[in-house]
Amino acid sequence: MAIVKMKKAHIIALQSEKQNLIKMLQKFGGLHVINIEEQITEEKYLELTADSDNANVSQLEARLSQVKYSLDFINKYDKAKKSSQKARLHVSDSEYMEYINSNEELDAIFNQCKEIDLKNTELKNRETKLTNLIQLLQPWNSLESNFQDIKTSRNTVAVIGYVSSVYAEDFKRDFLITGELAYYEEVSNDKENTYILLVFHRDLEEQITQIQKQFGWSKSGFTDLIGSARENIVKLDAEAKELQHDKEVLATKAEQLVKHKSQLGIMQDIFTIERDKASIVSNFGKTEKTFVLSGWIPVKYAEKLEEVIKSVTQSYVLDLEDPADGEEPPVMLQNAAIVKPAEFVTEQYSLPHPYGIDPNAIMLPFYVIFFGMMVSDAVYGIVLAVATAIALIVMKPEGGLKKILGLIFMGGLSTLFWGALFGGWAGDLIKIRPLMFNPLDDPMKMLGLCLAMGVVHLFVGIGLQAYKNIRNGNVMDAIYDQGFWFTLIIGIMLLFLPSTAVVGKYMAIIGAAGMVLFAGRSKKNIVMRLLSGVLSLYGLTGFLGDVLSYLRLFALGLATGVIATVVNSMALMLKGSVVGYIFMVIFLIFGHVFNIAINTLGAYVHSSRLQYVEFFGKFYEGEGKAFKPFTVKTKYIKQQ
Amino acid sequence: MTDFMNANGGLILAFLGSAISVGFAGWGSVIGVGMTGVAASGVVTEDPSNFGKTLLLQALPGTQGIYGLLIGFIVWLKIGVFGDALVSLTLQQGWVILFACIPMGLVGFTSAIYQGKAAAAGCAIVAKRPEELSKGMVFAAMVETYAVLALLASFLMLWFGVKL
Repeated sequence: MAIVKMKKAHIIALQSEKQNLIKMLQKFGGLHVINIEEQITEEKYLELTADSDNANVSQLEARLSQVKYSLDFINKYDKAKKSSQKARLHVSDSEYMEYINSNEELDAIFNQCKEIDLKNTELKNRETKLTNLIQLLQPWNSLESNFQDIKTSRNTVAVIGYVSSVYAEDFKRDFLITGELAYYEEVSNDKENTYILLVFHRDLEEQITQIQKQFGWSKSGFTDLIGSARENIVKLDAEAKELQHDKEVLATKAEQLVKHKSQLGIMQDIFTIERDKASIVSNFGKTEKTFVLSGWIPVKYAEKLEEVIKSVTQSYVLDLEDPADGEEPPVMLQNAAIVKPAEFVTEQYSLPHPYGIDPNAIMLPFYVIFFGMMVSDAVYGIVLAVATAIALIVMKPEGGLKKILGLIFMGGLSTLFWGALFGGWAGDLIKIRPLMFNPLDDPMKMLGLCLAMGVVHLFVGIGLQAYKNIRNGNVMDAIYDQGFWFTLIIGIMLLFLPSTAVVGKYMAIIGAAGMVLFAGRSKKNIVMRLLSGVLSLYGLTGFLGDVLSYLRLFALGLATGVIATVVNSMALMLKGSVVGYIFMVIFLIFGHVFNIAINTLGAYVHSSRLQYVEFFGKFYEGEGKAFKPFTVKTKYIKQQ
Repeated sequence: MTDFMNANGGLILAFLGSAISVGFAGWGSVIGVGMTGVAASGVVTEDPSNFGKTLLLQALPGTQGIYGLLIGFIVWLKIGVFGDALVSLTLQQGWVILFACIPMGLVGFTSAIYQGKAAAAGCAIVAKRPEELSKGMVFAAMVETYAVLALLASFLMLWFGVKL
């Protein structure tokens, strides 16, 4: 358990050597560069101005977005998809330079992608238009007349349109009343509308317009179409087929671009590296001939840093200093491999303060024990441990995923342990006698166990606060604040046991008196001091609440066990015939998998909560800033 | 009527109790899970890769319904629903079972709804900063504490309060 000690490094070197130095520092990957601009205002930096390489940054950004666009585009057409992610590629220095200068090639790929993309959009738009038109024409399929003939002539008016089917009958009646010079033909109808051809004498136009208005007539206009509806539909269908063909041609064209995928991946990495190199410069300060950069470096890397600089240039200044008072270096945790998974829990809360305590090594056993008590089923534990172990071996995950899988793996082992102690083997499916006791048979014992766990956990938390006080040289604070508190609580607990009641009484009195006298020692006024001392005793109720919170260990364990039992007894109802047994097994598997899933989630969340709220509340100071070194970040290229 | 109540009242009250526990806690979970689902869908529309994370949040208010069923199940176990015949209960035993079920039903109902609200707000955290999922989950889990306590209370009352 440790927070890595940092030193602040200032490096001064010649502008002419800047690019090389940046390159080597990026490879070295151990320096957290900080922006010097904020310090330039200080007197000692008066000659400095802020450095930057913005022209280069924006050019590289543009390249990078081209690469990303092309890569995204190609990925849509790559049938192999991500599942067949190839091993990382090796890129030699000369190849690296080739890629940087391969602007024309990139432009070519990018333009092809863009062209296909644009064409594709255009084709899609045309297709939508076509299908819409076909849909509009469909009701007129049986109309024999050509659209160009449906028009107003000297004496007659011909028009097509539709009214709501509900009014179709009434419309027809009112329309035909106008006399023999009106012709009505129903072309087709569907649930909503009835499609009609009307031909009538011009003199009737005004009268008919009135009727049309009354029944909500909508005119259909295919003014730019020639020929009958059927002819048009056939023509459009052919066009749609052609479009489909064009799309396929385009897709094959796009698929041919897939071969550039690995090339683009490498480019993405390279341009990212180059962009990072260019943009880091904006953190530097410069004079006419030199530049200055500052950053945090773990103490153990300090010598290596000097070597790295020496390998580039002999004319440099490297100044390493301890953090000044009030300065907060970034936080990097260093833990044994087995403790690493716990870092996930802490990181999710907040990284420790640079001068605080790294709680991971102490927290891990509690986390794992609580997790196991909450799931508390031996079979489930085996399932969890085996599943996560396989995932860890096969997927070889990195970072957060690796940590959380490791955490659940340990939790699974702990679940197996507690399950065996409590006699839970897939609920009551496999009947094995509990090694300790069955919580359902002896709930009082279980309650006691949970509360005891809570007290130990909380005491460790308070103990860590005492340790922190002592480490910071405030021994008296540790005695006044944590020492009396311990005395009081232990005293009160001893009171409940007849044999130790007398000792307990005196301990409680000493503890309480100590707190009343000293808890308010920062107050000048004696009355105020005693008053806040008395008030501090009120913390007892908070402590009681904290301890009771650990009852969730019992309740969640109970939930697992009882749900498992429900699953088992419901499954057993199915047994009998062969089919019944098959269904029984299926039901058992689904039921228990569901139970594992929901309870693992619950155990993860509630075990985390016990750390965050109850444990961390006692001593933890978070809000550390993560150590983010200037380094090479790649997804496709193998790093040397 | 009195005779009827004396003969059957215990069982009726016991069933009423289990119905309250299963029904109300489940009702609350329905509201909570639904609410979170609505918020989660919004987040997933923006970025489908957040599906898994928001699904975790959506599962949280669902536990109350399970706890409620669990208490109901213990009642049924006690009164022999799964056995050959129902156990005959006195009126007093019936009342005890009914009251033992009320914490789970009541607290399960309200806590699932408010946990749903907290989880839905947690989806907003995921939308902006997916890496901070755990914080949203802990906020929601704070609400669940009381459902867990109610589960424990109902369980202890049933387990120790009803001797059959």
